[in-house]
Amino acid sequence: MANHSQLTFQDASSPVMEELMGFHDHALMVALSICSLVLYLLTLMLTEKLTSNTVNAQAIELVWTILPAMVLIMLALPSLRILYMMDEINEPDLTLKAIGHQWYWSYEYTDLKDLTFDSYMIPTTDLPLGHFRLLEVDHRVVVPMSSSIRVIVTADDVLHSWAVPSLGVKTDAIPGRLNQTSFLASRPGVFYGQCSEICGANHSFMPIVVESTPLANFESWSTLMSSQ
Amino acid sequence: MLASRVFSLVGRRSISTSLCLRAHGHGGSGGRRGIKHSLEGGSTGICPGWAVGAVPSQEGPPELLFFPQLSLDPWQCPGPELGEWEASLPWQVYRIKFNETYAEMNKGTNEWKTILGGVLFFLGLTGIILIWQKHFMYAPAPHTFSDEWLSAQTKRMLDMRVNPVQGITAQWDFDKNEWKK
Repeated sequence: MANHSQLTFQDASSPVMEELMGFHDHALMVALSICSLVLYLLTLMLTEKLTSNTVNAQAIELVWTILPAMVLIMLALPSLRILYMMDEINEPDLTLKAIGHQWYWSYEYTDLKDLTFDSYMIPTTDLPLGHFRLLEVDHRVVVPMSSSIRVIVTADDVLHSWAVPSLGVKTDAIPGRLNQTSFLASRPGVFYGQCSEICGANHSFMPIVVESTPLANFESWSTLMSSQ
Repeated sequence: MLASRVFSLVGRRSISTSLCLRAHGHGGSGGRRGIKHSLEGGSTGICPGWAVGAVPSQEGPPELLFFPQLSLDPWQCPGPELGEWEASLPWQVYRIKFNETYAEMNKGTNEWKTILGGVLFFLGLTGIILIWQKHFMYAPAPHTFSDEWLSAQTKRMLDMRVNPVQGITAQWDFDKNEWKK
């Protein structure tokens, strides 16, 4: 989860998110250099040091065609690399279905046992001391850590979006359609996210909580949940 | 008085650029002292470029000292007295050719004061609006913003190892039970 007034990303909890953070740093540097160049040219213009002799010459036409093309290539290549990396076939260890409703999520673990449960936000008035407002849920999504998890996301009524920033996951939940995403939780922990597609009055009040634990803990949890 | 001055600096700006320039000290007939340019006689104003030198001065050509025999005697050619330079021929020829000297042309204006004043004014206005709405409009903050709740919440975040790489948990020293220095 984010600190108050946090501007940057949360720490990455999956390899894909680490790659995305690196790419974001790279893209931000490109953007910074472009802005610096524009600011410099603006200063030249405002102090009347840039003349039409400069901008009407033939050589500069070449420069301001080649340079933007190079910038675009510098952005496109890392971006495509990560895009294809996210789409790799990775033989998931567990498949999980996330179904969006107004205004809660329901999850189905149907690989081994028939485990289905709903995940509602805990109202602010019912929060125990020290818990996170608008983020806590009654039933978390528990997954084994360091295992490739496939999530199939869909919706029951209107558009929703299943997003967990620290795992680098955001997938739209569309009624009548199955969208697939995958992640790998690198470390144990609790990762929070919120519905990311406007879906009505309580769109801000249907969070997602993913808890990654060692495999043994996951197995005892799933046994306990199935028996309830 | 101040309000009318502000209007003259800002209001006329929205009408014409030349009026705006005049408000900040440019323009006018500042460059043409000693030479009258008028088509009617008597009124001063900015002379259009095509009329420079077109209308002869009504006072006739300037008086010049005439020496039948030139010498290097300094007393023969007295230096300019105060005000004589502006009346001398080279200066008048310069003024015929050029509307302003380099110094007058490159002179700065006081426009920055108007701009800075306007920016600060609107910043202040925004601040007043924000203070007003905080006082009169906003509901009180939820109980989860109390100091007791925030410290319990921070402790829970540290126990859960939230953002342990570079975030909040990375700033906490678990051995000494205090924030890292």
